[in-house]
Amino acid sequence: MSEAIEFLPPRPAVLSRRTAIIADLTDLLPAECVIHEARELVPFETDAFISYRRLPLAVVLPKTTAQVAAVMKYCHRYGVPVVPRGAGTSLSGGAIPQEDAIVLGLSKMSRILEVDYANRTATVQAGVTNLNISEAVGVDGFFYAPDPSSQLACTIGGNIGMNSGGAHCLKYGVTTNNLLGVKMVLVDGTVVDLGGKHLDSAGYDLLGLVCGSEGQLGIVTEATVRLIAKPEGARPVLFGFETSEEAGACVTDIIGSGVIPVAIEFMDKPAIEICEAFAHAGYPLDVGALLIVEVEGSEAEMEATLASVVEIARRHGVKTVRESQSAAEAALIWKGRKSAFGATGRIADYICMDGTVPLGKLSYVLKKTSEITDSFGLRVANVFHAGDGNMHPLILFNANDPEDAAKAEAAGNEILKLCVDAGGCLTGEHGVGIEKRDLMRHQYSDADLAQQMAVRSAFDEGWILNPSKVFPLDGRPAA
Amino acid sequence: MQTNFTLEQLADPHVAESEKILRRCVHCGFCTATCPTYVTLGNELDSPRGRIYLIKDMLENGRPADEEVVTHIDRCLSCLACVTTCPSGVDYMHLVDHARIHIEKTYRRPLMDRLIRGLLAAVLPYPARFRAAVVFAKLGRPFVPILKRVPALKPLGAMLDLAPASIARPSDAATPGTRAPQAERRGRVAILSGCAQPVLDPGINEATLRLLSRLGIEVVVPEGEGCCGALVHHMGREEPALDFARRNVDVWIREIDNGGLDAIIITASGCGTTIKDYGHMLRLDPAYAEKAAKVSALAKDITEYLSVLDLPKLEPKRLNVAYHSACSMQHGQKITLAPKNLLKVAGFTVRDPAEGHLCCGSAGTYNILQPEISGQLKARKVRNIEATKPDVIATGNIGCITQIATGTAIPILHTVELLDWAYGGPQPQKLSAR
Amino acid sequence: MTLIPHTETDAAYVIRNAAAQGTRLSLCGGNSRVGFGNPVEGAEAMSSRGLSGIVDYEPAEMVMTARAGTPVAEIEAALAANRQMMAFEPMDHRGIMGTSGEPTIGGVFAANVSGPRRFVAGAARDSLLGIRFVNGQGQVIRAGGRVMKNVTGLDLVKLLAGSHGTLGFLTEVTFRVLPVPQSIETIVISGLDDAAAARAMASALSLPVEVSGAAHLPQTVKGRFVGGALPEGEATVLRLEGLAASVAVRAEKLAAVMKAFGPVSRLGQDKSVTLWREIRDVHPYADGTQKPLWRVSVAPSIGHQLVAALRLEAGVDAFYDWQGGLIWMRMEADPEAELLRRYIKALGGGHATLMRASEQVRAVTPAFEPQPDAVAALSARVKQKLDPAGIFSPGKMAGAL
Repeated sequence: MSEAIEFLPPRPAVLSRRTAIIADLTDLLPAECVIHEARELVPFETDAFISYRRLPLAVVLPKTTAQVAAVMKYCHRYGVPVVPRGAGTSLSGGAIPQEDAIVLGLSKMSRILEVDYANRTATVQAGVTNLNISEAVGVDGFFYAPDPSSQLACTIGGNIGMNSGGAHCLKYGVTTNNLLGVKMVLVDGTVVDLGGKHLDSAGYDLLGLVCGSEGQLGIVTEATVRLIAKPEGARPVLFGFETSEEAGACVTDIIGSGVIPVAIEFMDKPAIEICEAFAHAGYPLDVGALLIVEVEGSEAEMEATLASVVEIARRHGVKTVRESQSAAEAALIWKGRKSAFGATGRIADYICMDGTVPLGKLSYVLKKTSEITDSFGLRVANVFHAGDGNMHPLILFNANDPEDAAKAEAAGNEILKLCVDAGGCLTGEHGVGIEKRDLMRHQYSDADLAQQMAVRSAFDEGWILNPSKVFPLDGRPAA
Repeated sequence: MQTNFTLEQLADPHVAESEKILRRCVHCGFCTATCPTYVTLGNELDSPRGRIYLIKDMLENGRPADEEVVTHIDRCLSCLACVTTCPSGVDYMHLVDHARIHIEKTYRRPLMDRLIRGLLAAVLPYPARFRAAVVFAKLGRPFVPILKRVPALKPLGAMLDLAPASIARPSDAATPGTRAPQAERRGRVAILSGCAQPVLDPGINEATLRLLSRLGIEVVVPEGEGCCGALVHHMGREEPALDFARRNVDVWIREIDNGGLDAIIITASGCGTTIKDYGHMLRLDPAYAEKAAKVSALAKDITEYLSVLDLPKLEPKRLNVAYHSACSMQHGQKITLAPKNLLKVAGFTVRDPAEGHLCCGSAGTYNILQPEISGQLKARKVRNIEATKPDVIATGNIGCITQIATGTAIPILHTVELLDWAYGGPQPQKLSAR
Repeated sequence: MTLIPHTETDAAYVIRNAAAQGTRLSLCGGNSRVGFGNPVEGAEAMSSRGLSGIVDYEPAEMVMTARAGTPVAEIEAALAANRQMMAFEPMDHRGIMGTSGEPTIGGVFAANVSGPRRFVAGAARDSLLGIRFVNGQGQVIRAGGRVMKNVTGLDLVKLLAGSHGTLGFLTEVTFRVLPVPQSIETIVISGLDDAAAARAMASALSLPVEVSGAAHLPQTVKGRFVGGALPEGEATVLRLEGLAASVAVRAEKLAAVMKAFGPVSRLGQDKSVTLWREIRDVHPYADGTQKPLWRVSVAPSIGHQLVAALRLEAGVDAFYDWQGGLIWMRMEADPEAELLRRYIKALGGGHATLMRASEQVRAVTPAFEPQPDAVAALSARVKQKLDPAGIFSPGKMAGAL
């Protein structure tokens, strides 16, 4: 386990009341909703950012908004930190607890409450998975657009916490652009509704502020999201290139041409091999880089868009062009792409970066990224959303070798700084979490951060919500 | 993910294997989404990722199993949906197998639990005892409501609920001997009679024998074969499971040596998953490792085998078949398309129920040992199946047949029974009764 | 007198001083929305129009950075030269407000302006990637960035968008732009009443034809559009955009389905452009009057019920811009704020913003929908963190805001 990033020291006043707190929580919630046996807490010590682990004080899995409110009211009263958790798929450690914290899991709140086609909305509990929504409305010709690669498992609550994106947000936007309203429990247990089936806010855009706030402003228990009519057809096409640079330049030109596909995904050679081994999607193995370009719409539209894209790709020396021939094949192509991170586990441990860079800098940043990992003697696989410059270098290492793990972390930090220096940002869709917290000063000035923290304090003066995350530990407002 | 085992711990081949499996897991959490118990209970401890973590913690610390760990491992159906989902290729099946063996060795279950498990292990794998038990169950049925009210006795109630209301007529499908084919001989296979299936539904293997015979396949029912061992294997009873495996390996190797076998045909996918794993189960037994691997390689589900026989395409029938893929079929053996394709070629209209990846709750003895979760899964499964408005349900595992039949009025048959009918066999009784 | 700083540093200096002295500032751009919001007493105007000019425009990356006071016209001209546009179609308020100022890009974002593409392409907030602003303590703050995907830290960008100059003084904005669609066509269904139109629109919007605008123009307003060129009867209009070949195919499909609702006709490119600009700018109510004008946001399916209920009790004229998520309502005399807001609540929620009214009416009618106590308190705390001295137009949006 890595130790480079510190957590807040546990609050002694909380630790010393552990037994009483557990007894009180057991009074507030049904027995099956409170977990406190030491052994049962272990599986909650981390999320998908497994380099860091901390045992929580207890885990609660409420079933209703009222129960969430009761827990928050209690924790607020006694200053007990609360770490919200959806499916625990965070790649930045957003759901990693701390010794004095209650993990508040939304996994028992997983019902779709209402689907309203007349208004094109779905209202769901926070623990519903992203894919569940699209599956529930798919038969009627609708879908929910943001599609993070973990959409099979990740919850809508977690998506809101991290303002998740996905492959198709090039056209449809990220979570914040598809979220119409939330029911949220404030730190003191007050329940508020922000937004609804209507658009925009009557006052400040608190909904926009909550989206991407990493569980620091309140606990979202329900969400109303925008549904979109499914396009008539969608077709992913594979473009194989000799080099990553060619592929990167091609992406920049596609966007620059004014033709905007629904998705442009990039994979370099190591990533292609990893994904093909799992999904058998028919990715070409004799190329140095691969683009998955998806077009959608009517047959006429897909053909027209595709023709322009193919022409641009040819100018960049594309080696292989392969259109998917069936829905099953298209599904496999996406399955391979979306399983990329997990599939990497077949060959090595990894940490996944999430910096975003301006499109014009793609090739440059790709090249620099391999220089950085080379200099650390590490391997890297790149698989990412190229259309919006959201890079995901996967740094491969051996987690059982502490030295290797430390090198991977250091290389990751270098890469993220590179992204910021190139005019981009630390994280495009995974969130700051614990992972990128101490790099925040590289992107923001002290005043910028102080302003964000002040606004955060407006929601949670005592900083009990997910307190070790997002903001560097030094320079925080005095409690 | 990172693991912490000492070299001494790793000297144990079971631990060494588990460590390798754990190293592959990247804790991405995808598996939670398709896990029936997580979907039902909403607690990560009842998900593959949670169980992997519990097992890891237990094994790393060299601890005996405790009540908490046992609770969550026991709730695992071993449906292996997680294995299908896992992008990292985590071999959860063998990890949980190891955990169950570890539990069996280091944990003393409460008395009632021990008795029930002992009873199941002593009765189910033996057709004669099981037949007697079914007779006895009829007598016990009036007591079900009482049994269900006492927590420790709930499994007994579930057991009685599942027992068939009438005893199947005697059948010679399981009588040892060789069946010469009716058509020109194209091949020779052995068929597994199994333990519970011939008691619960001998019609399945009768249909198989008829169909194979018409297709020119010589079928041998070998003398001396028995339960595949899955039932006790899933209870963590390693030695009895291996004994069952060795016995069957001996029997089949004998048949391979005398006359050769193209395949070992299995008509219950639950058994198929285990027999295909014999090679792994006996890998540490020098006397059996090689033979077991040979047997595993020959083991074929009946639909897998029929698929290579190139059955003729038949005229469409007006019959909607909801195909329920048993977990052991789709996740354990990765057979997904073959049964549906066979049904389609035979003229049936095949419908895929929603949430096809979720277990029906049968899972060997799970519906007896975990009646509540099993009941919820059954209800969900039946809802999804009935939504497709089928005339009949087809599946490839006796456990699912028994389980689903108690939840719906729609007839449920083994895929091979429909195929036998389509290709000239008699109409299955369950259909003619309608 | 209006304060017009010409550098960000100057702006910060002015604001620091104002905060120290407790001087109220009314932040604005080109003043094209003057007269909107609750009246603020004794505030000195401070405009961003001295901070003008496009800082950076990368058409290939579809991103533009401009100083807040840059005229919208200048931005639009630069974009048009590259066949690009602001996808959120910011409306021009001068018509309905009867003002003559020059709209600025900062104003567009400060008011979170949107148009008929709202549901599909978002409002200004959805295109805004990054900002620089001066907070109430005179500190220059940067939030967001220039890339489309960015979840680094709290999204102050969204907070500032639509805060109407009550949280900070925008000095620079970076936003996403999109290519102008090659072709536009409008399907018109004639003669539907409000309820039938709502059904027709719900049906159209559930088809895979990517309707990018949907509006219903009742008899009372229909004649004011496209110089009276729309066919007989109420007009329910649906916009399709994209590649010419694709638009043609989609228009066929949509027309075929819409026939079931009423007579279908079509508008070509030029008339469509005019029609949707007029819908965007609420052309019928750019009438030179001060009759109370409401911008109402409710769930689309209840819009006609709301209007029908109000008609029984008040003099109201309305049309529906559904992909904009809006009903525009002009009241004959009394603004009927309480009645309107009561019905909105009863029908499932939403909000009504008073865009225009006489000074007497504005003095007693909250311009923005009053928020539930907990949300109002939260908003007040947020305001306090950005503008601790309470100098930015206090009360413009609500009590403390």
